[in-house]
Amino acid sequence: MKHTTFVQLLDLAVGAVLVTSFAALWLRRLATVTRVIAIQGFALAGVAAVIGVYEHETELIAVSVMVAVLRGLVLPGLINRTMRDGDERREVESLINIPASLLAAAVLTLVAYTATRSVVALDDSAQVRAMPLGVAVGLIGILLVVSRRKAVLQIIGVLMLDNGIALVMFLGTSGVPLAIELGVASDVLLAMFILQVLTSRIRTKFGGTDLDQLRELRD
Amino acid sequence: MNTTEAAFIAMAVAASAAVAAAIVLPARSRVVWVGVFTALSATAGGVASLAVLVGGDSFVTVIPDVFPLGGVRLEFDALSALFTFGTALVAVPAAVYGIGYSGQGPSSRPAQAAWPVLVWSVMMVPAAGNAIGLIALWELMALSSTVLVLAEHHHNAEARRAGQWYVAMTHLSLLAIALALFILVHQTGGESFAAMRAGAANVGPVAASTVFLLALVGFGVKAGVVPLHVWLPRAHPEAPSHVSALMSGAMVKLGVYGLLRVGWDLLDGGPLWWGAVVLTVGLISAMFGILHALVASDLKRLLAYSTTENVGLIFVGVGAAGMFAASDNRPLAAVALAAALLHVLNHGAFKGLLFLGAGSVLTATGTRNLDHMGGLGRRMPVTAATFAIGGMALAALPPLNGFVSEWLLLQSLVHSLPSEAASVAVAMPVAVAVVALTGGLAAAAFVKAFGSAFLAMPRSAEAEAAHESPFTMRTGMIALAGVCIALALLPTLLANPLERAIAPATGIADGAPISTNGVYVHLAGIQAGLSPLMLTLGLLIGVVAVFAVVRRSRARSTVRDIPPWGCGRTLQTSRMEYTATSFAEPLQRVFDDVLHPEIDVVVDHHTESRHYVESIRYHSETRDGIENRLYEPLLAVARRWGDRARSVQNGSIHRYLTYSLVVTVVVLLVSQ
Amino acid sequence: MNPTGIAVALLQAVFVIACAPLLVGWTRLVRARLEGRVGAPIRQPWRDLRKWFVKERMVSEHTGWVFALAPLVLTGSAVLVAALVPSLSTSSALDQVGDLFAVVYLLLLGTVALSLAGLDAGTAFGGMGASREMTITAIAEPTVLVAIFALSVSAGSSNLGVIVADTLSRPSAAASPTNLLALAALAVVTVAETGRIPVDNPSTHLELTMIHEAMTLEFSGPDLAMIELAAHVRLVVFLTLLANLFVPWGIATTAQPLHLLVAAGAVLVKLTVLATIVATVEVFLAKVRLFRVPELLAASFVLAFLAVTASFFLA
Repeated sequence: MKHTTFVQLLDLAVGAVLVTSFAALWLRRLATVTRVIAIQGFALAGVAAVIGVYEHETELIAVSVMVAVLRGLVLPGLINRTMRDGDERREVESLINIPASLLAAAVLTLVAYTATRSVVALDDSAQVRAMPLGVAVGLIGILLVVSRRKAVLQIIGVLMLDNGIALVMFLGTSGVPLAIELGVASDVLLAMFILQVLTSRIRTKFGGTDLDQLRELRD
Repeated sequence: MNTTEAAFIAMAVAASAAVAAAIVLPARSRVVWVGVFTALSATAGGVASLAVLVGGDSFVTVIPDVFPLGGVRLEFDALSALFTFGTALVAVPAAVYGIGYSGQGPSSRPAQAAWPVLVWSVMMVPAAGNAIGLIALWELMALSSTVLVLAEHHHNAEARRAGQWYVAMTHLSLLAIALALFILVHQTGGESFAAMRAGAANVGPVAASTVFLLALVGFGVKAGVVPLHVWLPRAHPEAPSHVSALMSGAMVKLGVYGLLRVGWDLLDGGPLWWGAVVLTVGLISAMFGILHALVASDLKRLLAYSTTENVGLIFVGVGAAGMFAASDNRPLAAVALAAALLHVLNHGAFKGLLFLGAGSVLTATGTRNLDHMGGLGRRMPVTAATFAIGGMALAALPPLNGFVSEWLLLQSLVHSLPSEAASVAVAMPVAVAVVALTGGLAAAAFVKAFGSAFLAMPRSAEAEAAHESPFTMRTGMIALAGVCIALALLPTLLANPLERAIAPATGIADGAPISTNGVYVHLAGIQAGLSPLMLTLGLLIGVVAVFAVVRRSRARSTVRDIPPWGCGRTLQTSRMEYTATSFAEPLQRVFDDVLHPEIDVVVDHHTESRHYVESIRYHSETRDGIENRLYEPLLAVARRWGDRARSVQNGSIHRYLTYSLVVTVVVLLVSQ
Repeated sequence: MNPTGIAVALLQAVFVIACAPLLVGWTRLVRARLEGRVGAPIRQPWRDLRKWFVKERMVSEHTGWVFALAPLVLTGSAVLVAALVPSLSTSSALDQVGDLFAVVYLLLLGTVALSLAGLDAGTAFGGMGASREMTITAIAEPTVLVAIFALSVSAGSSNLGVIVADTLSRPSAAASPTNLLALAALAVVTVAETGRIPVDNPSTHLELTMIHEAMTLEFSGPDLAMIELAAHVRLVVFLTLLANLFVPWGIATTAQPLHLLVAAGAVLVKLTVLATIVATVEVFLAKVRLFRVPELLAASFVLAFLAVTASFFLA
């Protein structure tokens, strides 16, 4: 693969990851947000695949397949199951309105760029130059956790944070050994299982997972 | 004696003649002669500035021993001349307008005497060449404008409160400026500006930044930037309209002048964060100003908040120039500063024009409330046409002058990337976004103001009975509209004057930002071109071509006057029109979190049945957010301390004698 | 300002004005076919314009000179913009007269003129249309100017000819994140400013759902013809900007007749594709509520903002 094609494909894939995180802030239907996170997982797999093909590392391509399956299919499927089990309203409820969340996310992207300036200055390759976007995706994931009311959205926010960290790993180290990715993946999977079970139980017991309402439970 | 000196003397003489006329003459002729002499004084000021800007003259003089602390030094270079020129552009039409306006209103001796003093001091402040001169002229300007703001206070409790706020804020600004100059005098060892410039190297960075921040506060109050702007929306509406025109058009610009002079001439520029602070203040002022202008239903309050917005844009230009200069991009800094200075002139012209129009509407209808106006376009055609020209310039629409300075500002911001300074790379996209949003909102505000006041049907009996203003008021408005059009078509004539005006601000720029061949404008170091003249020509050709095509068809068919489409309803009254408040309501809802409007809806039901409504009252008020959240708490704290301190002076003679005893004992002990 | 340059500018204006109703006709035809109807032929908008031209001109008795002047200003500015935008060639004489900022502000002038006419009608519908239109325009402005910012950082200038030439000389940059993000942002703005679904339904008959149509309710006869033509021209101008700033291949860089002919064909192909996309989007999406439009425009602003940061950081 030529270098220029590599740079273009890499930029496209990383851009897709970032755009999906903005889309998750913008959309109003829970089901669509889940679908968008699945697309983000596939885009992340795409990043790994592009780097793997360019650097001729089969291990990275295996990692990318695993990421696609895990973050693109399994985890969003788990989240869908969490949603389907309850009959809550299927709309996003948030503390700050949608244009404000979008502007906050744009500011966080700028913050990510300024914060990683010194790291980016170390190396002029295309991967390192795209690293701030990974940090931005992580920050946007945290923004989702902080600003949304429903537990499902906060799970999605944690997943996005993890996607962002994974993106930074792929770009920064140009390849993650399969063992490490497996370890991380199993941790994430375990966390998601626990969260899903917990959410279903809360919903059965209390009739909903709106955090502001749950706060009323304290004495 | 060169032209400039002669013009300065003429300025002073004419102003004194005007004051004398105000004191001596009886009411009717007083107004006329004051107006004539003030206009002459302002014309002399214009001549002096042109001599410096175009002819390259300069003017330095010392008047010794005017005050106990020292003499007054006058130094009039190109930067000063630009601001004085801007003042003269507004003052001459305003003075002519004032003849007709005062004839129907504020013709009392104090008000008429203060007017020429105000005009003269606003023109002279940029000519101050030492600390004492600046402070003296600043105070003179403050006093004369206070007299004028209070000119109609007999009729109006609002005017009294406006005067109180104005006096308090303007003396806060005087204090800050005096402190800044004091520190500068102390650090550089010289009292005149020339000595300060020479000693600028001796000023340490901490002292320089302190001086800069104090100057920002002091001159920022005068300029009306957020959060120091609270006096502006109160004072400018209450003043007589020709005074408002001068205040908004020229006096607030002296805040910009002072900041440029102290920060980037006397202190010879500073670190990047100076420019960043000025830029941030400018952006916040621009957003805050235009949002409050949008929800204002008082026409003059709308214009006053719009002044805050435009001064914010000027501060954006100055701040960007400072940032570019500090990051070694001096050609771009020159362009940004040129944009800011051009906007100083343009805003003065169109804001002055809009205030004159508002005054015309006020005298004709007796109200400033847009929700009670309407249909004035037919009854006051000259006012409507000139207000349209001023308003289109406000909305930065081509082919008028607001567009040219906005274009220049955008070009300077857009060519800043790629840049090595991280703060520049972060600030510029935000700045462009905010400038764009304020431009769009300004267009909406113009449509609201012009549409509610002049279009469709009158919404009240006063609006229906309105008629056009007298001759002098019309002349003033038409003259200022002509100035706007001239600035719009021939900004190329200002290329050399702008270059000369930028030169003293050595902290920012050197070199010619704009090169032109008279028709096209090109920018130095940037690939950008515009031709306002050709654009206007193209627009006119387009309109005329369309008209020619349509005319035959229009002439062939008759025009039938019919009632408008009412969805089947045939009666059309003015109650069915959109008011100014309803026009701005969608935007108010979008920006709800920033504006926090207080909305009360009271519904009275019929006594017999809850399903029938007898009346609905809707009350919506948007108070100034900064006044609510910042000033009210501060004033409350000050009042509490004042109450507690009252116990110190409770009238008991024993207590006062005890104070004297205590102080005597302390002095005896200390002086041992 | 040489004669060939002026001829090119005039040719561009005539070309855009001639094709605009045809392209709108094509949009309506695609929409009709997708909805299962036969639809009117492509030249129907031209026939409508001709019909209105000869109809009687009825004016509401409460309006004044603003109402009479507004269609002229709107159409005049649309004609000037049609001449400015590089549809056929970059060697037009108007290249030094106005740049992309001038185009945007000229379009804003037309919007303001129409809003004032809506208010002058004195009806609640006119005021409603004017108020909504100014709201949407004001909120779309940041997106437009920041997207222009992104384009001019890559090209080094906001001059239209320079941007086109820059993309022509660096083909790989056409698919860069900056260009793609700016394209997406400007596509959303196009929909918003020209009043298409999902922002406004151009074929609605319910007054309370109208934005653009509400302002034009009172116009009839030749005035209505002017307003409709201006609306068609503005749509085509936006589509031409999208086509020739981002995918400029085919445009002529000289004034030779053969090159201009090729350029005309190329731009017609691109415009047809874009018009088909617009029509398809109209069929498959629903109009959003007025107070959801700021969310849509905020999303497009963020895309434009990312385009600027990408142009600087990823370039």
